[in-house]
Amino acid sequence: MRGILLVFLCLLPITAGGQIVIDKPLSQRLTGYDIDVTLDPVKHTLNGMMNAWWVNHSSKPVGEAMMHMYLNAFSSSQSTFASGGRWSAAGDDGWGWVKISSMKDGMGNDLSGSYGYVSPDDGNVNDKTVLRVVLPEPVAPGDTLVLKIDFVSKLPSPIQRTGYNEDFHFVAQWFPKFGVYETAGMRQREADGWNCHQFHPNSEFYSNHSVYNVSVTLPTEFVTGSGGKLMEETDLGGGLKKVIWRAEDIVDFAWTAWPGYKVVTRKWNNVDITLLTCKMGLSKAENHLDAVVYALEYLAARVGPYPWPHLTFVDPPLSGSGAGGMEYTTLFTTMGGGAVPVFLKMPEMVTVHEFGHAYFMGIMASNEFEEPWLDEGVNSYWEQRIMDHYYGGGYGLVQLPFLKMSDTDQGRLTYISSPSRAIASNDLPSWMYPHGTYSMMSYNKAATWLHTLQGIIGDETMDNVFREYYNRWAFRHPSGRDFISVVNDVVKSEHGDRFGENMNWFFEQVLYGKGECDYRVSGITNYKIRSYSGVVDGDSVTYTRGDRRSDTLYISRISIERLGDIMLPVDILIRFDNGKEVLETWDGKASYRDFEYTGSSKVIWAKLDPLDRIDMDVNRINNSWTLEPDRTAARRMLNKFVLLMQMMISVFTL
Amino acid sequence: MSLFKTLKNGAAAAASSYKLILLIWVTTLVLTLAVGYPLRSFLNMIFGNSMAVERLNDGFDLGITGDLGKSFGGLIASVSAGTMLIGLVGFFIMTFFAGGLFRRFSLAWGGLKVSDFLRTSAGNFIPFLKIALLLMLIIGAYTFILTGIPIIAGLIVSGSPGQTGNIIYGLFVIWALGLPVWLFVADASRRWIAATGSRKVFRALGAGFRALRMRFWHSYLTVLAVVLINAVFILALMWLAGTSTPEKGITVFLFFVATQALFIIRLFMKAWRYASVCEAVK
Ligand SMILES: [Zn+2]
Repeated sequence: MRGILLVFLCLLPITAGGQIVIDKPLSQRLTGYDIDVTLDPVKHTLNGMMNAWWVNHSSKPVGEAMMHMYLNAFSSSQSTFASGGRWSAAGDDGWGWVKISSMKDGMGNDLSGSYGYVSPDDGNVNDKTVLRVVLPEPVAPGDTLVLKIDFVSKLPSPIQRTGYNEDFHFVAQWFPKFGVYETAGMRQREADGWNCHQFHPNSEFYSNHSVYNVSVTLPTEFVTGSGGKLMEETDLGGGLKKVIWRAEDIVDFAWTAWPGYKVVTRKWNNVDITLLTCKMGLSKAENHLDAVVYALEYLAARVGPYPWPHLTFVDPPLSGSGAGGMEYTTLFTTMGGGAVPVFLKMPEMVTVHEFGHAYFMGIMASNEFEEPWLDEGVNSYWEQRIMDHYYGGGYGLVQLPFLKMSDTDQGRLTYISSPSRAIASNDLPSWMYPHGTYSMMSYNKAATWLHTLQGIIGDETMDNVFREYYNRWAFRHPSGRDFISVVNDVVKSEHGDRFGENMNWFFEQVLYGKGECDYRVSGITNYKIRSYSGVVDGDSVTYTRGDRRSDTLYISRISIERLGDIMLPVDILIRFDNGKEVLETWDGKASYRDFEYTGSSKVIWAKLDPLDRIDMDVNRINNSWTLEPDRTAARRMLNKFVLLMQMMISVFTL
Repeated sequence: MSLFKTLKNGAAAAASSYKLILLIWVTTLVLTLAVGYPLRSFLNMIFGNSMAVERLNDGFDLGITGDLGKSFGGLIASVSAGTMLIGLVGFFIMTFFAGGLFRRFSLAWGGLKVSDFLRTSAGNFIPFLKIALLLMLIIGAYTFILTGIPIIAGLIVSGSPGQTGNIIYGLFVIWALGLPVWLFVADASRRWIAATGSRKVFRALGAGFRALRMRFWHSYLTVLAVVLINAVFILALMWLAGTSTPEKGITVFLFFVATQALFIIRLFMKAWRYASVCEAVK
């Protein structure tokens, strides 16, 4: 009875304007979940029931439903996720699973026997992470499918994003959840169908924006947090309490419970921010809160508003560190509390990054499985901009008097120093990246070429690209091609044909291609000539001195080479010994190019990409050439080395 | 003799041995430059005619390491190998010169000619080496018992490094306060060898411990005072060297002169400890 009432309450917002968390629906709200479970903190199980609904928004009847059963990734060493020893349970109690004990449709028809596991990605029969439900009757266009499911979820240990460690519980990917039903044309898809991938080792996610009403019964000593807004917390007596959350328009719902949490809060504009941390992490709480406020401020100004009035994040204790660094839109987890020295901004970086996912796949809900660059790469790009903007005067990651590093360079470094950087395109599904290149490619290469794009089209245009991306795609499901269309339209409207008909040439190289970019200055020559003029008289030539005052002339040549496959427009700044500077531009297409000047002064140095805008260039050492190399730094380093060594031998001997 | 007088006499003895200290300084300079010069040439070779070397001004920009590619790995390997080499050779050199310095400070009067200094250094080398190795072993064990074991135990018990933080700081202070005991024993034993001409290491150590027991507080405070002043000086020097980035040719040269002058002072301050212990035992 209660279940039916809840379903009714859930459906209400679509028809009437009955909002609870947000003023008006942000998304189409094609799916929703009312979940009521009890946590057994000893067995680490969740026992309960769920009403899930899905609206058929296509123009054709749909006869099956696909659901994620992701906890089953932890149910055996044969699952696609765990195979190859990538995860194994900590003892017999460590396995995780989700079991359906009963499934009925909205009419009360028993569906047991009409569902089974499928493995659309790899055909692994031992993988039980995708459930296919054959419906007794197809769902007509516009109709709502309601599934009433009784289930038990067992959390895994060790924690990998989800799981438990003693009384620490991080509960994610924990209930049967609909895949995304995509209609033809959506994300360039040819025909209607479910998009529901298995759980992979580098698993990423893809879901509809949904409404969640989640009720959890658990012992009173547990401190809890979730991606929802806390609606009610009631003491049930007998040492138990019931917590009820509601979340609107988010793509995933996770929650956590641990008796040891310390709660720190802050308000930013209308957003209530809650940090759940541990005793050790308390010393870093304000740093984390600052970081999240910076990210909110920066993204709200340059991309679009953060529309929810609540945000919770978790700095897990060491025992729960496996849950760290993950995003569930209005809930995320960071890492590295008190133990990290203050000059290293790694914890802040993780906070900024995981929060950023609220935008890049939380709001712009791209398919992380199929195009991981579109959330991880884009989000890393923004993380780097935010870190380098707010911390260390451009050196957002490390800033010491003798050592520094920008977050942008950290990402670029990972890409350019990978020997496998050119073995695959940047457009692969998350589980298809070869030779362990998944994170290097989808995070770092993508962020690096996004910085390069910014370098080419300009900062303002880049921000406008993302504003338009938000306008068009917030609370929808954009693809990479959709993002490129936004780039093309914005660049066209701001720069006309300056970069060609569109920017496809850029994406064909950096995203869909495998090539790398390396330009270099191969040398500078200055030929000294006399300003004589010759007179040919028969067989003999006599020379007369022209202008005595401008006696010496130089023919100066700067040689530039393209060593990589990628062709990008580049600037070259050339300086003459009289102080004059010339800025040349080159389309970067030919394999080499010489610039030649004749005049009374000679060229002393040349710098390719003088403002360091082309982050894709894998070697910046060869981007410049000077006739008088500065050896000061090397001399200074020698001095310091000598002193350091002398001190070493004087201190470490008796 | 009062503590102050011991320290004063020690300082005077160290200062009057300036020739010997300058000799030690030149030796360390030659050793470190012999390794440092090829490293500098390697660095210059990596950068060639590039202007990217600018990014090493104002602190080392780690972002450049990716552009350096394989050369960076080569550079790190060379620096590590160079450091190991200097560490090893430096240890022998400092042990060697300690032989001469202790001889100088255990003499009742006057100086020591450089040739005598070298001869006594050579003569005392083997027993001094044994004492140095033994005491380094003892100090290593002492450090491990006082800080290593509690850190490991703390990690096992609490499961997190942060919660044991204050205890670790406390243990570090206790460790630092205990260190002068071992240094005094090391110095007093070496003085005994230098003064008696004996080669018997264990008897020397016995004499060192006996000297400590005889006038414990005087001995302990003498070394503690010198060690504290040395520690402050070393920290200040390292901070200065770490944070300053001279950019013009002449300032780089002045920086070199200044740091070497400060290092010579450091050598005097170390000799001051030797001399003060010799004074205290006298
Ligand atoms: Zn991410």
